[in-house]
Amino acid sequence: MTYEVQTDTRIGDLTTMDQVNAAQDGTPILQVKEMCKTFFTKERTVVALDHVDLSVHTGEFISLVGPSGCGKTTLLRIIDGLEQADAGTRSLDGVPLSGISQDMAYVFQDINLLPWRSVLENAALGLEARGMNKKDRSERAMEVLEMVGLASFATSPPYTLSGGMQQRVGVARALAVRPKVLLMDEPFGQLDNFTREALQVEIAQLWAKLGMTIVFVTHDVDEAIFLSDRIALFQPAPGRITEIVDVDLPRPRDEYDVRAHPRALELRSHIMSHLRAGKGLPQ
Amino acid sequence: MADQVTSRFTPSESAAADLSGKTREVPAGIIVNAGSGSMESGAGSVVLEKKSSGLSQMNKQRIARWVAVVAVLALWQLSGLVLKPIFISTPSNVFTSFFRLIGDGRLPKAFFQSLLEMLGGIIIAGIVGVGVGLLMGRVRMIERAFEPLVAFGNATPSIALLPVMEVWFGIGTKARVAFIMVICIWPLLVNTYAGVKAVRGNFTDVGKAFGLNGWKQTWKVYFPGTIPFIFIGIRIALAVGAVGMILGGQEIGDTGLGGLAETFGSYSQTADLISTIVATTGLALILFALARKIQAWRFPWIADTSAGRRIA
Repeated sequence: MTYEVQTDTRIGDLTTMDQVNAAQDGTPILQVKEMCKTFFTKERTVVALDHVDLSVHTGEFISLVGPSGCGKTTLLRIIDGLEQADAGTRSLDGVPLSGISQDMAYVFQDINLLPWRSVLENAALGLEARGMNKKDRSERAMEVLEMVGLASFATSPPYTLSGGMQQRVGVARALAVRPKVLLMDEPFGQLDNFTREALQVEIAQLWAKLGMTIVFVTHDVDEAIFLSDRIALFQPAPGRITEIVDVDLPRPRDEYDVRAHPRALELRSHIMSHLRAGKGLPQ
Repeated sequence: MADQVTSRFTPSESAAADLSGKTREVPAGIIVNAGSGSMESGAGSVVLEKKSSGLSQMNKQRIARWVAVVAVLALWQLSGLVLKPIFISTPSNVFTSFFRLIGDGRLPKAFFQSLLEMLGGIIIAGIVGVGVGLLMGRVRMIERAFEPLVAFGNATPSIALLPVMEVWFGIGTKARVAFIMVICIWPLLVNTYAGVKAVRGNFTDVGKAFGLNGWKQTWKVYFPGTIPFIFIGIRIALAVGAVGMILGGQEIGDTGLGGLAETFGSYSQTADLISTIVATTGLALILFALARKIQAWRFPWIADTSAGRRIA
């Protein structure tokens, strides 16, 4: 069951639908098939993922949206290799993956900068793991810190930065390894509204500029609509993707009020009613 | 009265928020400790002063501290009028004895000998204890293999091993250093092991996600993450190691501060004995201060993040 695009509500002069369509019709860079994961606790058994399939196209921004406990973070962790699936396969550029992929990078919800390292050393962590020499990795880390506007904080300890700045470092750390796919797990969930909106705009601009593929987990529907080309809707117990919605809103979206856009309102109400119809949310 | 009171906030941010709750009725010139930190550290303390008051409470407390010390010294001195000097001597006798022992070189020689033995023992214990603790925390096989041995060794009163050290290493420096080492190794090993186990899954996830594996993950995530625990181990090791240092000096060939104290005690040279004890206390205090300084200088994040709970 796919959502039908209602073309009559588009705003013509802002449309960059070609771009969106190109992303949607593109070849899949990341493919997840028949992914299953069950967690066993003393009290109960939770089926976090029940035969989940997902194709991510090259260059697209796709969000996984659903109530908490629906398995979206679990799927992201499995995609990266942080979590072991019970069954199912994943492949990047057609190559089956096992373990941690060097071509993907992860942005954590609780950021997790290492306090014993400076901001620069944190940004360079992935490069260090890949065996790059100190001079090169410092240069590259400095480059990405400049991208997120934190070059002047390179030598600071991370805990002296605000939450928003810390997550910028988290993004820089991921960008430094030049991933083919960037995995973001509710990256702005702990930030206040103003910081969150500023970072949403920044990540949208970075995505457009660098031409990355991003898989983004959030439970914030407005955030997903603002950022995404497509939104995969999850429902819990058992965790599964029940619908994929195309967000056919013109870009760049920071140039108009997306929330007030009639198409966005439609998408929003559709997504909300779909999620409410599941077991996760009250009617 | 409130308008006569000026308030000055020490660096803690949280203290400001706590002010209204913690200072109900503020008499002029009182110090309100709004947080848990001590006065010296300044953390969480709020100082309120009345502009025209005489002595601030801070100064009064300082004076109280000195009065207590002077009173004890004075009582001790006066006790000399009643008690024989052989019991507890007097401060003036100890004072002259202390400088006489420094002058004739006996106290400095014993001091540095004990200090070196202590450092030797604790450094070897640190290398072995931290190393084994890390391995146990990271390698399942080693953990399983060493668990019973560590439980056994940790439960053995290390003092009972003093004769063993004599048998193994003879009567000399080696045996004393080895004795200090076997005492110090347990708190270092056990704390390191517990520390590895307590490194947050969040940090290890980061290492894993960014491609650190095997020994790189151990060296770049687990080891630094364990350092707060290692410092706890070091502080405990210094305390128990000092006991080993004195005991070793007394029992394994009469040298160092322990040997000096033993000698003075057996000849009832009480003033000299007390001078030696004072030097021993000084040695322990210096080592504690050194450990604190190293932590603050090389690992400021330990104090900064545990106070703010922002990362660690």
